[in-house]
Amino acid sequence: MDSFATVISILYQFATNGAFLLLSALGLIVILGMMNIINLAHGELMMMGAYTASIAWHHGVPFWLCAILAFLVVALFGALLERTIVRRFYGRELGALVVTWGISLILSQGALMVFGPFLPAIPIPGGSVGVGQYSFSVYWLMVIALSCVLIAGLWALYNYTTFGLQARAAMQNAAMARALGVNTERIYMLTFSLGAGLAGFSGALFAPTVSIAPFMGQQFVAPAFITVVVGGATNVITGAVGSSLLLSLVKTPIGFVFGAFVGTVALLLAALVIIRLMPDGISAVIQRRIDRRHRFA
Amino acid sequence: MSDQSNNDHELSIDPMSNPSEMSGSAKADRRKVLKLMGAASAGLAAPGLGATYLRDFEYTRSVQAQGNSPVKIGFIEDESGNLSVYGIQKLHAAQLAVKEINEGKTLKGGPDIGAGGLGTLGSIAKSPPTISKEGVSLDVVNDGGAKSTTEVVFDEDPDVFVDSGDKGILGREVSLVSVDGQSNNALWQQLARRLIQQDKVDVLVAGFASAEREAIRPIVDQFKQLYFYTNQYEGGVADANTFCTGPVCEQQVIPVVQYMVEKFGPRGYTLAADYNFGQLTAAWTKAFAPLVGGQIIAEEFVPLSVSEFSQVIARVQQAKPDWVMTLLVGQNQQNYYPQAAAAGLKFPMASTVNMAQGYEHKRFKPPSLANMHNAIQYQLEVPTARNRAFVKRWMAMFPQDQYIGEMAQNTYFTIHLYAKAARLAGTTDQATMKKALELGWSIEAPEGSVFLDPGTHHCAHYIRLAVADENHDVKFVRDWPSIAPWWLTRLGVNLISHPEYKQYTPDEDPFFKMFAKKA
Repeated sequence: MDSFATVISILYQFATNGAFLLLSALGLIVILGMMNIINLAHGELMMMGAYTASIAWHHGVPFWLCAILAFLVVALFGALLERTIVRRFYGRELGALVVTWGISLILSQGALMVFGPFLPAIPIPGGSVGVGQYSFSVYWLMVIALSCVLIAGLWALYNYTTFGLQARAAMQNAAMARALGVNTERIYMLTFSLGAGLAGFSGALFAPTVSIAPFMGQQFVAPAFITVVVGGATNVITGAVGSSLLLSLVKTPIGFVFGAFVGTVALLLAALVIIRLMPDGISAVIQRRIDRRHRFA
Repeated sequence: MSDQSNNDHELSIDPMSNPSEMSGSAKADRRKVLKLMGAASAGLAAPGLGATYLRDFEYTRSVQAQGNSPVKIGFIEDESGNLSVYGIQKLHAAQLAVKEINEGKTLKGGPDIGAGGLGTLGSIAKSPPTISKEGVSLDVVNDGGAKSTTEVVFDEDPDVFVDSGDKGILGREVSLVSVDGQSNNALWQQLARRLIQQDKVDVLVAGFASAEREAIRPIVDQFKQLYFYTNQYEGGVADANTFCTGPVCEQQVIPVVQYMVEKFGPRGYTLAADYNFGQLTAAWTKAFAPLVGGQIIAEEFVPLSVSEFSQVIARVQQAKPDWVMTLLVGQNQQNYYPQAAAAGLKFPMASTVNMAQGYEHKRFKPPSLANMHNAIQYQLEVPTARNRAFVKRWMAMFPQDQYIGEMAQNTYFTIHLYAKAARLAGTTDQATMKKALELGWSIEAPEGSVFLDPGTHHCAHYIRLAVADENHDVKFVRDWPSIAPWWLTRLGVNLISHPEYKQYTPDEDPFFKMFAKKA
């Protein structure tokens, strides 16, 4: 019973670590993979999501609605940002890097000026369930399930809708897509808006478990970038899933045995090794394997 | 009381009993000091504001140079960033103290050469303090009612807040030069330089995290700046320019560990922030647990940026300790409590920082902090009349504030203490002020009597064991009316005879090595 409980506990930790990395990275990877924009304001978009959710929550809105509201508000803000600023930097990766960094500074310092150094916390919804000596947070179990649903939804969006088809076309060859009548401007705007919305949604999901403060986004930026870089941009969704699962597979057992600090060190080392072995990321490797199978089939 | 000048009275006067320092008892008190110092020269003790009584107080020149310009208190705290939850309280504390000083108010207290120890009001207690314990179930000495007022040595009189007989400091207005360190150590260094070199502040009051203090202390020493560090911290700073007015490990770790071992069992698990404060406090906990029959079965250090604790929680569950020592710092790490509660963790918790500083029990939904024990020196709930009066003054000035924590109170009494010492010295000249502060001051702070030990520049504090229940209501289950900061004394530090400028760590004390080998 005891060893069974330990196995369940390790699985739970594996899933929470994976979900944390995946949710941190999701918005970033959509924007980077589809548009080749390195969005340094990603953490601040998550912060905006958390702020929207917690302000709504303190006005009596139920939590699940707060999360949806956070998605919509940040998505709208993302669309606005893309129309006014980001679209001027397409094809200029370094310019986009600097301008999104500037946006991140404005957003975090602006939040500090408008809302002060922190907002009151949202209590974590749900209780706990116990197995043997261990007990698990129901909320995190919900978050894990929700990130699976989110991935499935994204997969469906990119593979089974016209928008998905056009987005993938624009990503592979923008000029050709335009020639075929795809409105790439609109695709880019929607993609950026979707990425921003996902960041806001993740921010709202993390809101009960972190402190709601202007600089809170920074803690997600490093894990998000590591996940994205390890995942690579060849195939956005397989990259994000593969890399967050692989990194969690490294971090969980080592962190469980040696503590959180060593676990984080192991995660960084693993990221270094993976990038050295697969310079284009996990998704490139997976994609090559799929392509090969298609060729031989 | 009118001005007294005859010697008989000087010997019998209680400096505390007089509400007006400048006009009455202070002068009498000066004579007493003079006598004790053996420098009884009528010329030195001439009456009037310009009078001083320590031979090498070179006050005259500096007083003339200062004129009527305001006394500048340089102040750095984190008003934004990871540590802002503490910094804003401390800023408000400084603003309140400065306002009161400018309005001619002070806290009771005075220098007490040779007497030292327990406060200037010790004489009013009817009997020595009693700590009651039967078996493993401990009686509640003080549950927040009036009961606490009878047996314990402190002045229940809310009227420790008295007229200073002065407007500002020596007739000069006090101004607070306050800047935001943004929880960023590099910025702290820039700001310290700016305050010292550009603003030429008379005194620097600054520092939350030990990393921030260690970042600016070399600058403080370079310019021989008079510096107050008002935080609770890991201890060990022996610096002739620095006065540490918060409590340190020997005053908090041993009491709380002793209580946890008695009440819950010997096996403790330490969870600490991964920087100098957390590492050193954990070392203290590990070294002293065996002395009270306990044992630290595991230690884990968490980086300050971590806010996701599911793995840490699983490790604690696996270890099954009798209690958990949490030394978590900053807004990120405080999320351990709601997460642990959501994951169903129910181990009793001990701390020297949490609850009293970041008021986690007010910010997180019960029962996240249920069963938290902290040997605090101050927190808002301290059940004394003088504290209630202090809270009332504070809330009148800052009605929006949610809490007054340990460090905020330290900042408050420290600035009052500075003003009192400057009045006694007759100047704000920094070299003179350092000597004036080494006269063995007691001050009646909201927590109780605080004694500033001259040799080590650390304070003896009133320590109480605070416990949060299921609903996050706080009870005080044990009192230690005065615990001295004895560790630096044990190491032979005496900053008056041997000025030094370093921080001692437990490695330099053979005692800690002794226990490290055993473990």
